[in-house]
Amino acid sequence: MERITQAIILAAGEGQRLKPFTKLIPKVMLPIAGKPILQYVVETLAKNGVRRIVMVVGYRKEQVQDYFGSGKNFGVEIDYVVQPQQLGTAHALKQAKRLADDRFLVVSGDNILEPGTIAPLVTATSNTMLVRKLEDVSRYGVVILENGLIKEVIESPAKKTSNLVNTGTYVLTKDVFDFIGDEVRLTAVIQGMITHGYDIFAQETTEGWLDAAYPWDVLTLNELILNKISSSIGGNIEEGVTVKGLVSIGDGTLIRSNCYIVGPVVIGENCEIGPGVCIFPYTSIGRSVVISPFSIVRNSTIGDNVNIGPGSSIQDSVIAPGAIIGSHFATRSGEATVLVEGEYHRVKMGAIIGNYSDLGDNVIIEPGVIIGNNCRIKAMKVISENIPDGGLVV
Amino acid sequence: MCGIVGYIGYREAQPILLESLKKLEYRGYDSCGIAILGSVARNDGLEGVPANRIQLCKDVGRVVDFEKTIPKIQGGTGIGHTRWATHGKVSAANAHPHTDCGCKIAVVHNGIIENFQKLREALIKEGHLFTSETDTEVIAHLVEKYYRGNLVEAVSRALADVTGTYAIVVLAEGHKEIVVAKQESPLIIGIGDKENFVASDVSAVLDYTDRVIYLEDGDIGVVSDRDITITNNGQKVNRDAQIVLWSAQEAQKAGYEHFMLKEIHEQPKAVENTLRGHISFIDPMARLDMGKMGVLKDILMVACGTSYHAALIGEYILGKLCHVPIRVKTASEFNHYEMALDKTWVLGITQSGETNDTLRALKKAKLLGCPTMAITNVQGSSITRIADQVFYTQSGPEIGVAATKTFTAQLATLYLLALSLAPIDILDIREYKKLIGEMKSLPSKIHQVLDGEERIAKHGRGLAKFDNAFFIGRGVSYPVAMEGALKLKEISYIHAEAYPAGELKHGPFALLRSNTPVVAIAARDDTYEAMITSIKEIKARGPQVIAIAEEGDEDIGQFVDVVIPIPRIDPLLSPFLNSVALQLLAYYAAKERGCPIDLPANLAKSVTVP
Repeated sequence: MERITQAIILAAGEGQRLKPFTKLIPKVMLPIAGKPILQYVVETLAKNGVRRIVMVVGYRKEQVQDYFGSGKNFGVEIDYVVQPQQLGTAHALKQAKRLADDRFLVVSGDNILEPGTIAPLVTATSNTMLVRKLEDVSRYGVVILENGLIKEVIESPAKKTSNLVNTGTYVLTKDVFDFIGDEVRLTAVIQGMITHGYDIFAQETTEGWLDAAYPWDVLTLNELILNKISSSIGGNIEEGVTVKGLVSIGDGTLIRSNCYIVGPVVIGENCEIGPGVCIFPYTSIGRSVVISPFSIVRNSTIGDNVNIGPGSSIQDSVIAPGAIIGSHFATRSGEATVLVEGEYHRVKMGAIIGNYSDLGDNVIIEPGVIIGNNCRIKAMKVISENIPDGGLVV
Repeated sequence: MCGIVGYIGYREAQPILLESLKKLEYRGYDSCGIAILGSVARNDGLEGVPANRIQLCKDVGRVVDFEKTIPKIQGGTGIGHTRWATHGKVSAANAHPHTDCGCKIAVVHNGIIENFQKLREALIKEGHLFTSETDTEVIAHLVEKYYRGNLVEAVSRALADVTGTYAIVVLAEGHKEIVVAKQESPLIIGIGDKENFVASDVSAVLDYTDRVIYLEDGDIGVVSDRDITITNNGQKVNRDAQIVLWSAQEAQKAGYEHFMLKEIHEQPKAVENTLRGHISFIDPMARLDMGKMGVLKDILMVACGTSYHAALIGEYILGKLCHVPIRVKTASEFNHYEMALDKTWVLGITQSGETNDTLRALKKAKLLGCPTMAITNVQGSSITRIADQVFYTQSGPEIGVAATKTFTAQLATLYLLALSLAPIDILDIREYKKLIGEMKSLPSKIHQVLDGEERIAKHGRGLAKFDNAFFIGRGVSYPVAMEGALKLKEISYIHAEAYPAGELKHGPFALLRSNTPVVAIAARDDTYEAMITSIKEIKARGPQVIAIAEEGDEDIGQFVDVVIPIPRIDPLLSPFLNSVALQLLAYYAAKERGCPIDLPANLAKSVTVP
């Protein structure tokens, strides 16, 4: 049987749990190391020879279409279909019915898949689900196997019945559309197919697969990607700058004297950094970012157009585009309990800062605090609780 | 103002010509046509008789409608045209291409032949039969008159008789080449592999190639599928191919309903790219290369339309930061004025680089011995060959007829100019650094205005039911009001007038009714108090008032009906944000009224005729 050459990418989702980042951009456009997550998905597909793509778009679809266009610049051909309301994965897939081949791949646009992860699927001849062993399965649907076939998919399992999770990546035949009906979740549709006697094969992968569900996942994804970058130094590096390890610096960027940069680090175009700024591993810096003298950044991602004042210390943190930060800003890093959409999570991290927030001089943020979009925090404040969008701290 | 295209190569010419014409519709779209050397395909499935005759199709209307009505023509050499009528009404007969008496030579033309009336009468006396009222048709007959088997020679002799402006492409039976010529109207040749393209503008050929030759005035070129030979004044010249940095994708709508909306959304990027490399924050500095402009004594800016409004905002900013006299004149008026100019820096602003009035104004300034500068978005355009110093706005191609992203990018360039000419020694360095910091934050501040799109859309739709509107501003916000009114006029057809807020009571008050909404731009600078006073005076006469005001402005809400909040920014930079809000307001008003937003009635993108 021929290799699969078509993929349907589900890229319509809003990403509620990824707020504040997804207030203004769709989840799939969340930048990791200078590229949106969806671009990694497209590149992985292209590397596996899957070059015909149907992209299901919805929430802020223009941003996706504007970025990817016809797909020509990414070596693929993209057709777009719109899911006007983001009801669920099966509902999204249904929108692509008229363009679907007899056999096609289904992938989530918000999961980073390494090329090897997909490789065994493109030769699959029948309905197949990609599964992966995980230590912590609480976030995912787990699957129970029987003779290499999926027997059952259990969403949000109450107790740990299996350590295999559904990666949301499938090979499906056109028959799936007969089972969607009004069902909105794809796992329920798969369950329906099993009940009607369809064989759904399980293909296990041990290769890289990461899902962005919560704001701090950005740092894990960032680390995975940065480990694979290649060095390239553009821009203008002044004398006396030390650069070690894998470091990529964009055109038009100015690194002033006495900066000390240890890769893996990605710095975008048109930034101004230093003098005397230290940047340590697993840091991604966007376009047109200013990092003022004597600041230190470690294991963090900093979005486009962010301006950081002198003497700041930032670690294990995610700063969204457009944030303006005064001098002597500090994020503390450590174990923290974080509240997201009514659920508590135990994570080790620094701060999350939303788009365009404006932080005064000498602001300190306690571990695990999420500052929303467009917040204003006056100078000399210690922030130990989440601040909602538009919040003002005086 | 028209768009012209040509193709010669191994592919079928028809689809390429039609696609290219669609890209040029911003230059005119009242009628269109194509001529292809070949044969009409038979629709009975049989092989047609191969022929190399000129097959001519032309009609009134848009290319999309035209292409549905015409037969399939087989042939790999052809020319096409999309028209914005200047000489002769809109009719199928006046649509291009135009042919000679025997329909063996076909011509498409952009520009104006000034002596066509005399030439036409002489040709009629010689027995030539004219079928249209256009100036262009004389070229076809002149080429016929001089044709002795050598097409390029006939074209050269024909053009020697002609005075005026032109970009032409000529197709003739029995020739494996097309002939092109340029005089003061834009023309480019796109270089392909075993094929070549000709067009008024690079956007028409971006789908096929990124290598282009920009022709210069007086150039006559012979283009075949493999060769391009260019002569100027009888001498063979070498014109280097340039790589176009714009991509075809930039010239597509990409999911947006209109080019205008897409281009409004591209403004953060356009401003960022324009500022790029010119400002530094940590060691505060703005720099534009002034080349050999000499000593700065005073500046005169000349521009038309939206570019004129950018110039007026520039007048305020340059005046404030540079401490030299600044003047602004509408380019078409400058050409009628005697102005005192003594080594005055004259700055022409034109998006396309082809605006005829601005080109003429700059040429006049040059004759008067003034150093000249230009701000334009199009590399290789005519103005770049006139001005001593050229600054490019990095907006990418703008397709919507109503200028948006090129306007804010022009502003960015003007602010850069002001900051780089500012005498830093007499400015407060902390103020200067703060301003540079705010400049750097412009892209994300513009993003924030766009994030409030839904709210602005609601008020834009609210404006749709009115027939008249006023826009008021003070200080730097007055030209912003003018631009807001222009945007509303040109795309929604709502009659809009801009006034300095203080002038309204000197006459226009008589027009204020409950059905004349007033849009007030209330920047938080030293004009604010006076603006509030004006708003109160207006409210007392009944109109609905929409205020564009800084977010967190709690006061203004008491005096007006609607507040559109704009992110906090130094009031000097407020024109960027206020303009974007006004563009969205106009866009949604026009959309609610069902107007053809990207191609408004009677307008073409750049006006290349006097």
